[in-house]
Amino acid sequence: MLVDGSQHSLEVTAQILKGFGVLTVHRFDNILETQKFLKQRTADLLVIDPSIEGGAGYDCVSELRHSGGPAATMPVLLVCGHVHKADVMRARDSGANFVVAKPLAPAVLLQRLLWVARDKRPFVDCGDYIGPDRRFKFEGPPAGSEGRRAEDLKAPLGNAVEPNLSQDEVDAMIKPQRVMI
Amino acid sequence: MSKARFFFPDVRLKRLLREPGGITIGEALIRADEAIDGMRDACLQSIDQKIAEIGALNRDDASATNGRCYTLSNEIYAEAGMIKLSELSDVAHNLCDLLSAAGKQGASAKAIRVHVDAMRALRSPAVSASSELRRAVLGELHRLTAHLAIHTHDDAVR
Repeated sequence: MLVDGSQHSLEVTAQILKGFGVLTVHRFDNILETQKFLKQRTADLLVIDPSIEGGAGYDCVSELRHSGGPAATMPVLLVCGHVHKADVMRARDSGANFVVAKPLAPAVLLQRLLWVARDKRPFVDCGDYIGPDRRFKFEGPPAGSEGRRAEDLKAPLGNAVEPNLSQDEVDAMIKPQRVMI
Repeated sequence: MSKARFFFPDVRLKRLLREPGGITIGEALIRADEAIDGMRDACLQSIDQKIAEIGALNRDDASATNGRCYTLSNEIYAEAGMIKLSELSDVAHNLCDLLSAAGKQGASAKAIRVHVDAMRALRSPAVSASSELRRAVLGELHRLTAHLAIHTHDDAVR
């Protein structure tokens, strides 16, 4: 499903997706029609330019996440052209899975699509925000703060008291898996 | 402290990509490139119309047309980049920067005109066919915008 204010961007992106083998592409150039569609149906992926109608795309994604319907957890890619500084935070907090910078190249779009499909981040619902976990790194709570999660370590880590594991010992702990390339 | 709920929703896209069959990544990219090539003429026509519209808007009150010029240059930036006209895309991105920095009071008409002229030059057959000329247009644009920025600043100080 594509949402973009520019008819040509919509058409080119649709052609890229069809080249990838996507059979049906629903295109919308306004938010009202998009919301109507999302209330009744869902799609496998939403690709939306948030700058549509003066930035209404960010709110559209946020409302979708808060809707509670079957489409609420669908993967969302924000495709942004020129971005104002203030909009970077809005993009992160809207609940989208990834942000892709325009101009769209087929290789980049395909890579991001595969990222979304392989994304292992959990969804978070904390009232104000619903969407994929915004934290990509797991480095513990910021220095000087206690942390907000139950699994955040409260006590400071001490120095190692045993020698490091050998590579064989590490290998023995990891379950071998088939790799698909 | 807010209570957060973590969960893993069922995503159909993940299941679809795991299913056997389909096409290879290389084949998908070739087919997508061919599809874009098929739309090249229509995109060029649309870009030319947008450049002409920015030129026409620039003759009116700058503060009133700033938003529309920004939208159009943002569209040119994306569309030109998609069909690999990177210099034209760069000029449109520069114009977006300029209009965004100027805010509600509007950017200088001279600075906008310089960008429109650069985009028109890049679309001319002679320039679009030569990478050297395209680079020269970009270089001249950067020189002129730097010159105009200094003069605008001087006028503001006075």
